[in-house]
Amino acid sequence: MSVFGDGLKAEIEGFLKRYETRRSAILPVLHAIQDVHGWIKPEHIEELHTVYGLDRVHVKEVITFYDIYKDKPVRKFQIRYCKNITCHMLGARPAIARIREHIAALDAAHGEDGAFSLEEFPCLGKCDGAPVMLVNKERVEHATVDKIDQLLTKYAPTVLR
Amino acid sequence: MAQDKPRIILRTEGLANPRALKTYIEHAEGYTAIKKVLGGAVTREQLIEEVKASGLRGRGGAGFPTGLKWTFVPQSDTGPKYLICNNDESEPGTFKDRHICTVNPHQVIEGMVLAAFAIKANKGYIYTRWEFQEEIGYLVEAIKEAYAAGFLGKNILGSGFDFDLDHYSGAGAYICGEETGLISSLEGKKGQPKVKPPFPAVSGYLGRPTIVNNTETLANVPWIVNHGAKEFRQYGTEKSPGSKLFSISGALVRPGVYEVPLGYPFERLVQEECGGYLPGRSLQALIPGGASAPLLTPEEVKGLTLDYEAMASRGTMLGSGAIMIIDDRQVLAELLKVTIEFFAHESCGQCTPCREGTGWLNNIMDGVLGGTAKPDSVERMRTVAKHMGGKTICALSDACAMPVTSYVQKFSGQLQAYLAQAAAAGSHVK
Ligand SMILES: Cc1cc2nc3c(=O)[nH]c(=O)nc-3n(C[C@H](O)[C@H](O)[C@H](O)COP(=O)(O)O)c2cc1C
Ligand code: SF4
Ligand code: FES
Repeated sequence: MSVFGDGLKAEIEGFLKRYETRRSAILPVLHAIQDVHGWIKPEHIEELHTVYGLDRVHVKEVITFYDIYKDKPVRKFQIRYCKNITCHMLGARPAIARIREHIAALDAAHGEDGAFSLEEFPCLGKCDGAPVMLVNKERVEHATVDKIDQLLTKYAPTVLR
Repeated sequence: MAQDKPRIILRTEGLANPRALKTYIEHAEGYTAIKKVLGGAVTREQLIEEVKASGLRGRGGAGFPTGLKWTFVPQSDTGPKYLICNNDESEPGTFKDRHICTVNPHQVIEGMVLAAFAIKANKGYIYTRWEFQEEIGYLVEAIKEAYAAGFLGKNILGSGFDFDLDHYSGAGAYICGEETGLISSLEGKKGQPKVKPPFPAVSGYLGRPTIVNNTETLANVPWIVNHGAKEFRQYGTEKSPGSKLFSISGALVRPGVYEVPLGYPFERLVQEECGGYLPGRSLQALIPGGASAPLLTPEEVKGLTLDYEAMASRGTMLGSGAIMIIDDRQVLAELLKVTIEFFAHESCGQCTPCREGTGWLNNIMDGVLGGTAKPDSVERMRTVAKHMGGKTICALSDACAMPVTSYVQKFSGQLQAYLAQAAAAGSHVK
């Protein structure tokens, strides 16, 4: 039995054939796994090694090097907030502080398994919408304190039933 | 007379469905340049000569002449060659390539077919940072459209020339914008830069000849083929021909991406394109070319034009065209800390001056902002930065040292004020 499931297996096999070397497929394969499972589990790395011939050392060093890959469970909404120059100038710091408050309150009320996580990120390449954050794959512009309050209050009940 | 504000890159901006193949074809001479070249009206050598004559310089930051770079691919080598579009766009303050993907992705693809033909590459990749999820979707869609129309793939337009193009996503690492780091990443490895020489043009992706060009650079090529080097040179300056996209952000009424001729007055960009500063704000300092560029004082900004020479004469650089306005409400010491922290986080760790230098600077700044710094901290930063330059595998170390040196030289007053405050409060380390 594969730990991946049929759809993902087919996708992984597609990537392994797509590039000049199998190793070039490591990044796309890891993206595909994360899209389905949220994070890269030890059993994923093992199966990539034993079934698909992707060296476990090569895979692990890629996971460690790149910020996007996670080898620990993730929360339902991963917030990546830009703290770089323009966002800093236009209000990132108070907004980040507010997100921390929300997360602390939600965790206190609902336990460890809260819905949101926060990571401070380098420039997200949308400085004309500063301050900017990503919520999973979606970009939120002008993410000031007011907007944070609106968004987190809106999302929270839908995931914290 | 050349138009005041040419549209060389953002030709479909503002139209309905700007990204669609149909729009590109109907409104921007779409894919006529490859018809001209692959149809035999222009030879490979003539294409390279035309790009050289245009004076087009790489828009990824270093400003290296594009046509000349293409000639470095050894043509005696008959094995596989690769063309990579560097769409990693991670230099803080830069967001122009994202905008090209949003309004005119087909022009990048057409530029890639032309560049590939020039260097005899049959395979190409567009490497985009992961954070651009929406834009990756636009690129993948445009590639699909171009294949369906016969502008990519085998025997393009019956010419016998094959070019396959694929998209590849990064995974959150600034260093993958550096061309050899990008190549490592595309090989499925940590994005660590490699020692040059050999340059990628000789030994790049999988050890094969590879040209890495920036997205905006490539998007210039179809226009140059259609209109010629001479017309291209009607825009811009002698040493910086053509137009340039500037991503400009900060306390402005209309921050955004604007295409203007090189040599355009900075003040005019702020007033006309950006609608001026936000009410009540004024310029305290200017970052003219991304986080790596040395800062300019308002005095130095007087009469500033946006071209490679004017920037160099003021000891700074045009870089990727990322202009960040630092207004009078900002605390420069905080921005310096943000900048240093960025480079410390993004250093790949291979070279000691870079890994240790960025870390030391980061610690010193923590002390400055936390009120615990030693009184000679500003001097120590200057010394650390001095030892970070020019000794490393890639330019990230310099990219951190340069802005730090400029803060320390031009704005040490603010930093000293922090130190004085700490000394008065008795909290600093003696
Ligand atoms: C630390 C570092 C980061 C870089 N980031 C980028 C980038 O995000 N995009 C880019 O096009 N070039 C970037 N470059 C420059 C590339 O190494 C390379 O010079 C460029 O892609 C060449 O294309 P061009 O000649 O068309 O400008 C970076 C360079 C360094 C040293
Ligand atoms: S200069 Fe810094 S980022 Fe570049 S290779 Fe050396 S350690 Fe890595
Ligand atoms: S500084 Fe935040 S998106 Fe660029």
